[in-house]
Amino acid sequence: MKKLTQFILNNSKKVLFFIILGTVFNLYLIKTHFNIETNLEAYMPKDHPAFIYSDKAEEMFDIRDAIMIAINNEKGIYNEETFKKIKSLTKEIQKLEVIENKEDVLSLYTADNIKGSEEGLEIEEFFKRIPKNKEGFVEIRNSVVTNEMVHKRLVSEDEKSTIIFTKIIDNSFSEELYAKIIEITEKYEGDGITIYVAGQPIVEGTMTRLMPQDMKTMFPIVLLLILFVLYFVLRSFKATMISFMVVIFSSIWTFGMMLGLDIAIYGPSSLIPVMLIAIGVADAIHMFSHLQLQKRKHPDWNKEKLIVNMNQEMFSPVAMTSVTTAVGFLSLLTSDIIPIQYFGIFTAYGVMLAMFFSLIFIPAAINTLGLPKTLQKEDKKNLFLTYSKVFANNVVKNRKKVIFGTIAILIFFGFGITKVWINSSMIAQFPDDNPLVITDKFVNDKFLGTTTINVILESDEEGIFKNPEVLELMDKITTEISLDHKVVGGSFSVVDFIKRMNKVLNEDNQNFYKVPDDRDLIAQYFLLYEMSGGSDKLWEVVSDDFKTANLQFQLKSDNSEGINAIISSIEEYRREMSQLNIDMNFAGGGYKVLVFNDLILIGQIKSLAYSFLIVILLLSLMFRSLKIGLIGTIPIFITTIISFGILGWLNIPLQTTTALISSIAIGIGIDYAVHFIDRYKLNANKYKEKSKTVTETMFHSGRAISFNAVVVILGFLVLTLSAFKPNISLGAIVSLNMLTSFVATITVMFVIIYSTNLFFNNKTKQ
Amino acid sequence: MKKIILIIAVTVSALTGTAEAQTAKNIVYKVYNRTTPNNGESDMKMTLINKKGSERTRELHQYFIDLGNEEKQIMFFTSPADVKNTAFMNWSYDDVNKNDDQWLYLPALKKVKRISSSNKDNEFMGSDFTYEDMEKRNPERDNQTLLKSEKYNNEEVWVIESTPIDEEQYSKRIIWISKEKNIPLKIEFYDEDKELLKTLIITKISKIKGYWIIEKQEMFNIQENHKTIISLTNLKIDSGISENKFNQRTMTKGL
Repeated sequence: MKKLTQFILNNSKKVLFFIILGTVFNLYLIKTHFNIETNLEAYMPKDHPAFIYSDKAEEMFDIRDAIMIAINNEKGIYNEETFKKIKSLTKEIQKLEVIENKEDVLSLYTADNIKGSEEGLEIEEFFKRIPKNKEGFVEIRNSVVTNEMVHKRLVSEDEKSTIIFTKIIDNSFSEELYAKIIEITEKYEGDGITIYVAGQPIVEGTMTRLMPQDMKTMFPIVLLLILFVLYFVLRSFKATMISFMVVIFSSIWTFGMMLGLDIAIYGPSSLIPVMLIAIGVADAIHMFSHLQLQKRKHPDWNKEKLIVNMNQEMFSPVAMTSVTTAVGFLSLLTSDIIPIQYFGIFTAYGVMLAMFFSLIFIPAAINTLGLPKTLQKEDKKNLFLTYSKVFANNVVKNRKKVIFGTIAILIFFGFGITKVWINSSMIAQFPDDNPLVITDKFVNDKFLGTTTINVILESDEEGIFKNPEVLELMDKITTEISLDHKVVGGSFSVVDFIKRMNKVLNEDNQNFYKVPDDRDLIAQYFLLYEMSGGSDKLWEVVSDDFKTANLQFQLKSDNSEGINAIISSIEEYRREMSQLNIDMNFAGGGYKVLVFNDLILIGQIKSLAYSFLIVILLLSLMFRSLKIGLIGTIPIFITTIISFGILGWLNIPLQTTTALISSIAIGIGIDYAVHFIDRYKLNANKYKEKSKTVTETMFHSGRAISFNAVVVILGFLVLTLSAFKPNISLGAIVSLNMLTSFVATITVMFVIIYSTNLFFNNKTKQ
Repeated sequence: MKKIILIIAVTVSALTGTAEAQTAKNIVYKVYNRTTPNNGESDMKMTLINKKGSERTRELHQYFIDLGNEEKQIMFFTSPADVKNTAFMNWSYDDVNKNDDQWLYLPALKKVKRISSSNKDNEFMGSDFTYEDMEKRNPERDNQTLLKSEKYNNEEVWVIESTPIDEEQYSKRIIWISKEKNIPLKIEFYDEDKELLKTLIITKISKIKGYWIIEKQEMFNIQENHKTIISLTNLKIDSGISENKFNQRTMTKGL
């Protein structure tokens, strides 16, 4: 290390030049390869069985989440102006490039009206031309209200709204398309008509975009605040700028490498700069804090000597913290989700870069630009020293209280963890006044729901979905599920076609609104349907060989708790279905998002466990003692428990981002412990006396740790002002994690080190 | 002088324009007036191919009779088994203003149901053919233009564009007509927005008892990526089927 430092000192300008050159090159890479991935499908593991199955079913039944355009007229919809708008809006949407077939746009203008006539079955449009008189509208209204397949689905119960379902080509959602649809629909507003645009494609598309976008606005504010607070604690413009550069360089180099390798920026990757701020700043603060202390202690030392001393004494803790942090992030490689793997790899890379810049750039910069000023006066120094002394003594005096307090806290928050629930709802991540939330609520209030769950029923027996007993069981399932779960707005399946036909072919007698018990009759109904000009909508609920059926549930919320409850209720019919030789599976966008988020969380918990093990192992190796390895992880253990416990107690659901950032608890929390233990060990060897060791460590290391904590906590608290809920949680949780790690390190971990006489029992150890 | 030349030029072009339209109409009339069987029966196989490429087949046995200004047709399903003996009857009229009459007999319901064909745009048995696609079309309903004369599948053909006078389901048709047989070999159908909707291709024509009979034809719906193939086998032509056969009682009795 000495040699390296000497080399840096001799070649400071060259070192700086190459670092800046490299930064410029990486900036060039970022500029030329910049690419943000906004398609949610790209985040999902293609080879996971649930996804393979769902993709197959989606293909088979043309399952696609629809954009929903609701037209609302407070005067009711059955009048000329509303119908004109329904018709021309439908036609205009049909002409969009992302519409494959005109049939993919379903509205009152395009929907099939299956009805009985005196002699037979009629399937036709509800209207083709706009009625010229009142009677015409009364007639249309009657045919809507008496049609179970359309009533409430296409027209709201209060008859003030109607909806246009628009299925777009897969993965074709873009910001431009959304803007275009809004532009079109706005033209149709006025005359008491308001239009609401909602639906999963818009929520997903906006969601994947919003995270990096929000980061882009919030990041500069975070940086600014960090700069400010850095200056406040370091009291030197030079030191502040140099620390700041460490963070900026690591971020630029990381993104340069990632984008240079043609890996797009995924949602989680937009968190990388945030992670690097917290970690990079920590390294720099420890370096400068040490430098300033040494400078004060030895006013006679020259610049070179101070730098050599800084690098020599700080190399080991900085390297140790960086390696443990990087390894912690690498544990994310155990996740099934590729964007999370990228996040893990590149954050680890960034952490190593931050270490590299701290150990190379900082000395070179100080050597070139001169030592930072030390503004702190003697009395201030004493004040801090006094405080840390008093604090250390108090902690030692009250060590039993500290231990019991910690245990109580652990029990309290540990119990909170049992209350934690997972929510993969996307809409819940938007602020309540976001237009998307408002339109989603409107459509959910008025219609059957914006979230769809597809239950795929499958058999190897051809024509099985013409069997009365099979159809009756399906009917029973939909009826019972809809009754038991309030969130279910409605269902749709092949049974609806059969019941409707049975009724209209029996003089609209409501008693016939059921599955007929004759298989041939059912088969002949389907034939009649096709011969009467019935549309392909039938093939969205049953395959044409009648071996596979798609049972759809429409839900009024994409809240995971509700979806999971419904899925487990449906699961209860699995046995009954399998007795009929029918297998049951789930499919569709809503279900995939659920599985996806579960995968993220399971992966997260898995990698959390792995990183704990790895950190214990690394610490044990670094300090050559398993005991220290275990003691060192105490702060991060407490941090993790409190972090999850608070979610439980405050009833905040665990979400993708919330879960992801718990890795920071380990990544940074462990740094405090390492710095503290390293300094404690150094002092123990130096002073061979416990109380001196304690106060010196508390003064030196505690000072740097608290500086670091203040900077990062304040910096991240800014994020709570964000408009995007995941970023608010991110800010709150990172701040909280820093605080708990910091407090746990200087209290309970310190107490345990003190009480176990660590580094004093066997002083012989180096 | 210049003026006179201009007038002559205009007159000539106007004349040739009319002559061309006349030729086009004549060609279409030849198709319309070609001799067709008076009655007959055959097996019919209908193959429906959806966009995923999966096929379904329906087999039927059909009887037909041409009574001059009306045509009657009755069909019995032979396969699949669950619709066996379901019978379908269609009466169509030359009178443009008169819609087809259609009935379906469902053996399970033991009832004859009338299928409302409020217009001829309806698809025939869920296929890509509409009822109208399968009928002869009165040339007076369209304006025709002769686009060109060319070779199609080694046959000399006229290519005619036919645009309906009233607003109808297709905005126009482009028809390849065999000069020798007076039968269309290919038709392109354009939708209301003048976009290509469907293509009909006649894949097998045979001469039976002096008539050119279409034995196999394919309709491809380009917009929906759907395809229907209809083929006739065991054709018996002018076998003397009586008009009395074409009633609801026959439908209920089965084959």
